[in-house]
This record gives sequence, C-alpha cells and structure tokens, in this order.
Amino acid sequence: MFVPAVLAAYQLMPSRWRWAVLLGASIAFYAALRMPLLVVAWMFVVLTSYWLGRRISDESNGIRRRTYLWAGVAAQVVILCSVKYLRAILRLIVPGFEPAGGMDWFSTLGISYYTLQAVSYLADVYLGTAEPERHFGRFALYLGFFPKLLQGPIERAGDLLPQLRLLGSFNYANVRSGALLFCWGLFKKVAVANRLAPFVTAVYYDPHGYSGLSLIVATYMYALQILADFSGYTDMALGVARMFNIRLTENFKHPYFATSIADFWRRWHISFSRWILDYIFKPLQIEWRTAGKIGVVSALIVTFLFSGLWHGVAFTFMAWGLLHGVYLASSVLLKPWREAVYRKIGLANHPYRRAFQGIVTFHLVAFAWIFFRARSIADGWYIATHLFVGAATRISYATAVRGGVMGAILNGGSVRDFAMLGAAMSVWFLGSTFIKAARLQEQPIWFRWSMYYALILALVFLNAHDDVGFVYFQF
Amino acid sequence: MIKPELKRVILQELKLDDWQIEDETLAAEIPGWDSLSHASIILAVEKAFGVRFSNVEVLKLNNIGDLQRLIDSKVK
Repeated sequence: MFVPAVLAAYQLMPSRWRWAVLLGASIAFYAALRMPLLVVAWMFVVLTSYWLGRRISDESNGIRRRTYLWAGVAAQVVILCSVKYLRAILRLIVPGFEPAGGMDWFSTLGISYYTLQAVSYLADVYLGTAEPERHFGRFALYLGFFPKLLQGPIERAGDLLPQLRLLGSFNYANVRSGALLFCWGLFKKVAVANRLAPFVTAVYYDPHGYSGLSLIVATYMYALQILADFSGYTDMALGVARMFNIRLTENFKHPYFATSIADFWRRWHISFSRWILDYIFKPLQIEWRTAGKIGVVSALIVTFLFSGLWHGVAFTFMAWGLLHGVYLASSVLLKPWREAVYRKIGLANHPYRRAFQGIVTFHLVAFAWIFFRARSIADGWYIATHLFVGAATRISYATAVRGGVMGAILNGGSVRDFAMLGAAMSVWFLGSTFIKAARLQEQPIWFRWSMYYALILALVFLNAHDDVGFVYFQF
Repeated sequence: MIKPELKRVILQELKLDDWQIEDETLAAEIPGWDSLSHASIILAVEKAFGVRFSNVEVLKLNNIGDLQRLIDSKVK
C-alpha cells in the first residue's frame, strides 16, 4: 500500500512540490525500518556532502578545493565505519553489550550505498563533471530516494539530479511498465533466488560433509541465486522509480554471457563497478602510469581488494576481490600471448570462440563466488580443493529414489522442490530472453495481458514462501 | 581539430593502421582503447610531446578534442 499512497500524493501535489512528497516518503520508509541510527547517519551524509559540495564549487583556490574534497571523503568514511563497527567498538568497551528496546541499533542497511554515492557526488563536483545541487531538499532526495536507498543502484549526480528537477505528472505507460518490472524482480527473488537458497545453504552451511559433484552443483546454484536475488531487487527498485517517471541505472546486463572478466564487470553490479573504476582504479592507474604494466596490475589488485573490503571486513570477501584482481591482472600480462594461444588451439577465428570464452569466464566467476559465499576462508578453501574429489559422498540408491537426483546430491530437497525450482528457472529464462526481446509494449493487448496474468500466476504458484533476506542487504 | 601528430601516436600505441579520430571521438570508440590500456596511451602521448599532465587534468578529459587542447596548452 505504501507505493500507491505515495503515487497518489505525488499526483495530487503541484509539480514544484513533488520532490517533498518523495523525500517525505523516503524518510518515512527509512524510519519505518526501526533503525534510528541509520536515519541519523543518512542525515550526516546529506549535510556534510551538501555543504562541502557547495564549498568545492564556490571556491577558486585549488588547495582549498582539494581540502574540501578530502574532508568530504573523510567524513563519509568516518560515518560509514562508525556505523559498521559501532557494535564491535561498544563490545570492546562493554563486553557482551546488547541494547534494550525493540530497535535495531546496529543495522547497516543502505549506508554503504549512499556513502559511495556521496563520495561520487563530491568527486564529480570537484572534477567539474557535475553541477552542485543548490536545492537542499532535492539533494537529500538524491541521496535518499527510497527505491534505491537500501541496495542501490549507486546513482551519479549527472544521471539522477536532472531527473529530480523535472518530476513529471502521472504517466500510465511508466506506471504500467514500472509495475511489471517490479513484479518481474519480485518473481526472480521469491520464486528463483529463494528456491535456490535452501539447496545452497544445505551445502555451504557445513561443506565438510560434501565433496565433488555436490559442491560443484551448489556453487553453480549460488551463482544463479545471487544473480536472481540482486538483479531481482534492482528490477524492483527500477520498477518503483519508473512509476514516478525516474529512470535509475541498469545494474545488470546478462553478466553470465560475458566473454572476459573485464566484460563481466561491465555487466555485473554496473553502478558499483563504474564507481570503483572511476574513483579508485583510474586515479591509481594514472598515478602509477610510469610503472607500465606493473602500475596497471597494482591498480587492479588494490581496486578489487577495496571491492572485497566494501562487501565486508572478512578474509572471504578479500579472497573474492583478490581473485578478480588477479584474473584481470593476468589478462593484462598475458595479452601479448593470448592470440597466439587461440591460434595454436585453432580457436582464433572459430565461430565457437565467443562461446568458449563465455564458458571459461563463467567458471572463473563461479569459482570466485565460492569464497564470497563461504562462511570462513577455511570452508572456502575446502570447497575449492574438493570440487573434483569423489563423486557425491551423500548420494545413495535409496536417497536417489526418495528425494530425486538433485535432492540426493544436495541432501536438502525433494522431487517436488526440484520440479518447482525447474519451473521457476524456466520462467526466468523464458522471461529474460523472449519476453524482453519481444518488447511487450509493442505487442497486441491480448498478448500483453496474457503475459501479465502468466507472471501473476507464476508469482503465486512458484513463490517459495521462505523469508530469505536479500544477499546484498548485508553490505 | 585533432593534429596528425596526436593521431599518429594514438594509432601507433594501439597498433592500428588507421581510424577516424575527431574532436568529439570518445576514447572507448577507438578499437583497443579501454580502461586497461588508458594509462599507457596517456603515457605515450606525454612522451611524444615532452609534456606531463597532472592526474586531475587526465581525469577531466571527456574526448580526444579535450586531450588535444590539453597538449596545446602545455606545448605553447
């Protein structure tokens, strides 16, 4: 009911006050999560970045401009770290500290996203690639717009602020396509990601009981789960924003069809990969340019270690980031020999070359996901070193008959679960490839409405009814 | 207006025989010029023209026309 109510208020309000409706709704949305510290942190982020953005823009002295920029970046880092590590800091002072009351004082929901967005705003104003926003309310909305508040996309000032200055009135086509996109994202989350989650959890919770095929299948399933989960949320965010005539950044473009790791990062979590590319990799690469390839490789490793750390201060995330840094560094160092290798194996001009590259890229990405998902670096190492050991230790004739092949492999499901998962995956595949390609809005009305009802039926019957949180909420 | 000298350095660094390069051309539109090769091309330009760009100057570049104007401002 929240979105229709906001939509009604938005439509009733004169256009010059629509920003206030969206800002009020965003603050109410954040406050309703009962995480008071986060609202305070968000306000600090808004105040510091708004004020320092204006100071950077109005100042002509280069040293002072740079000082304001670094003060702004430092403020965001301090706010982010204070919220993320408050529980640990308090427990150092008072062992076993736990606050009273029903509020969640230590949640970090959303803060990693809008602090990065504030840093990008300050850097863009400093570089002159974005105009500073003079309207405080509109700026607060830029950082807190509710569809993207909790999990991105991380919007650039030049992309979102101009749209917030021109908030148009009710547009049926946008509401219809926005609602469809929202439902499609919801389907990916509740029917695909949440159906995959129990299988993955069964293995990754205690991987030492499994080996071989079980670990491989669980890792493939996790690769699909995280894509359905995160792209599902993104579609929901983009869909709601579109109802208010706002186009947020596409975060995913068929990432598992990438033909190289660099290509994967142009398709996966695009708003974040653009952020680390523009604000970490490029400055480091330019700074270290005289070191040649060593400079590029070092910049890549540092950038992807940051990427790992952003997801959480844990060896597992650092290993995941380091693996991607090493993949990309290897592609830079091996570039002179790559074509020679393709010629040698007869794939240089072969029509299957792209398919081969795609398969290799997917497996490199899936291998790195092992460390991202594992509960500890020891678990990750065990999985990585037991992928080809034995067959499936928990498989037996009896379990194969009783639980179906997949249930037996993973020891976590039934034939019905597996069939429902297969149906959900089929709808996901068909929807992603054929429905989008057919451009639904250009089809006759009977076809469009058949598709709407089909999606609603799929949502009702394939819903996993499991309360599994979004993977990316934790970051 | 992109001068032949700049075009020659870019083509040589990217090992291209020829490519149409104009003021509005974006780096990403030139084959082989991607985020991984960016720094080596900038370094080659600096060496060829005997100039040194600051990091911020490089980060502000939007297209090849900007790069040409930056070189012109340094060699004057």
